[in-house]
Amino acid sequence: MLHPLTTLASQPNVALDQYLPLAVIIVGAVGFAVANIVLTKIIGPSRRGANKGMSYESGMNPVGTARKRFNVRFYLIAMVFLVFDVEIIFLYPWATTFPNLDPANPDAGIWLFRIFFFLFTTIVAYVYGFRKGVFNFD
Amino acid sequence: MSSLLVLLAPEIVLFITTCIVMIVGLWPKLEVRSLAMPIAGMGLLIAGVLAINTPANPESILPNIIPYAKAMTAGVGLLLVLLLAGTVDRSYEAAVERGELRFNPIHTNRAEFFAFFLFSLTGLMLCASATDLIWLFLALELVSLPTYVMATISTRKLRSQEAGVKYFFLGALGAAIFLYGFALLYGGTGTTNLIGIRDALAEQAASGGINPIAMAGIILSLIGISFKIAAVPMHFYTADVYQGAAAPVSAMLAFVPKTAGFIAMMGILAAVGWQYAPGGETLAADGVGTLPRSIYVTLAAIAVLTMTVGNVLALLQRSIKRLLAYSSIAHTGYMLVALIAGPSIAAEAGITSNGLGAVLFYLLVYGVTNIGTFAVVACLERPQPDGEADELDDLEDLRGLCRTRPVLGWVMVICALGLLGLPPLLGFWAKFLLFTSAISAGEIALVVILGLNSAIAAFYYLKLVTLPLLEEPEGDAPATTPFASRTFAGVLSAALVLLAIIPTGIVDAAMEAADRAGTIVPANIEAIERSITAEALRDEPTPIIDR
Repeated sequence: MLHPLTTLASQPNVALDQYLPLAVIIVGAVGFAVANIVLTKIIGPSRRGANKGMSYESGMNPVGTARKRFNVRFYLIAMVFLVFDVEIIFLYPWATTFPNLDPANPDAGIWLFRIFFFLFTTIVAYVYGFRKGVFNFD
Repeated sequence: MSSLLVLLAPEIVLFITTCIVMIVGLWPKLEVRSLAMPIAGMGLLIAGVLAINTPANPESILPNIIPYAKAMTAGVGLLLVLLLAGTVDRSYEAAVERGELRFNPIHTNRAEFFAFFLFSLTGLMLCASATDLIWLFLALELVSLPTYVMATISTRKLRSQEAGVKYFFLGALGAAIFLYGFALLYGGTGTTNLIGIRDALAEQAASGGINPIAMAGIILSLIGISFKIAAVPMHFYTADVYQGAAAPVSAMLAFVPKTAGFIAMMGILAAVGWQYAPGGETLAADGVGTLPRSIYVTLAAIAVLTMTVGNVLALLQRSIKRLLAYSSIAHTGYMLVALIAGPSIAAEAGITSNGLGAVLFYLLVYGVTNIGTFAVVACLERPQPDGEADELDDLEDLRGLCRTRPVLGWVMVICALGLLGLPPLLGFWAKFLLFTSAISAGEIALVVILGLNSAIAAFYYLKLVTLPLLEEPEGDAPATTPFASRTFAGVLSAALVLLAIIPTGIVDAAMEAADRAGTIVPANIEAIERSITAEALRDEPTPIIDR
């Protein structure tokens, strides 16, 4: 009567095994957060003061009007930065797989062309930003 | 891989043109800067020529759609480029020319405007080449995201900003709904490839019915995409956005997202197929039938509501742009009827029974005709002290236009009759195909409602005809725009509407192309059924043959 249960227990549980990396990541993430809080409590120096107690110690002043203006150029620079950010995201997997390609493969040229086309679009975005005057601080 | 590059050649050309336009439009010299529009036109022309010669794509769910859809995009895009001239930067460029301001690229919109226009058309072409749900989603968003910005920057008035914000938030809602639908469809079939989905759904239907998760996914996708085609549960933005944006941009909004939405809907419906037994979600015995019942009911309800709401609300409008917006909703409803009817299964049945071909042809005709009516609105203006101009957007402004401004008046008369579908004009042939394809699919109730709605529509289209043609003009002739290419776009589309009267063979060729584009390959049901029965037989003990 117990036979089905024992056979089930003796088999490796394939489905759960696949989730092991996920479990490691979850434990790592929670552990990192908890460790940070605990370690700052233990080894961090505890000074107090008006500046120390502010929400953003070295950032903007949280007291005062909320309708403070930012220079729009911060956002423009941030967007130009995003162009390079996205470029790296796409270039990295390409750079790791491209050397594995068989040099005799007829598609190799197309692979290379495609990444050059992608780089070209990035350059166009940069030239556009340049002409639009994103880098002119006056 | 290289064959994919051949298939995508029109998109690549259009994208490179976009890059050039984006840089050229910011040039400090006015002569170079003004080249942005002609370069955009050249790019569209090259892309159109390349599109006509693209081969069929057997990996696509709509294998033959690419040449027709892309050539249509490029052709209507050329008309739109002519119409879009001078929409942005008008007072700024005038001030720069007078020497009051120094040119500063950060204050201009010309480069972005034409670049976004081309991006949107690139997205539309990519929609036609989509073989995968993720590709389809990205293409649909590439169509929509630039149009939000274009609506906002098209005039310097608050109403455009309001239109842009409304359009963006409702568009994001629509995108979220169809993305959720795509996710469920993936969950219910296990693949994002449209042909894979088609085979998975056919297999599910042959073995007892479509998975409810997949079904929910299909219905959510269709409802989300109905935002793009301005169909009823998602139509609320249409009138406000069309009125708020400048008339040339409204003309674009009435064609580009609508076409993209219909092509996406065709792709998803082709994955479901029109071979289900009426009243159920299992396959019809003879392989000829309709859509699955729940999809059929949803789409039929959307079609009826869309036609009726669009036409009835159009009756109440005083603004030409709002009237045309509601008429655009009504036309969506008409096309949905042919979409429900679906393609003909019988070989060599021709365009008269091919619902998808009818929709594709109607999209072309509607796009061309609609540009004519919007061109008239874009050409009439009331000069403003700041150098910008107010469009004349009231029906009363059309009074006696055939006498005061004969060219614009006649363009309005011809294009309004074309939208109405008066017999010898191009619009009639398009509507005729909708009727015949729906009748041959047996959708008599929908055809009757379609006929009644066309009759209601006659009332407001005839207002657009009688006001310029029969009424006496009041006061002076209205001022016209200094941009001659807008008038040219209007005259060109009116000429195309009249083209159907002369037997040139061009209209027949377009119909044949639409028929070919709307032909799909249904899932190989027999093969799937055979494999299922073979599996069932394998499990059973071999029967003893009695001699």
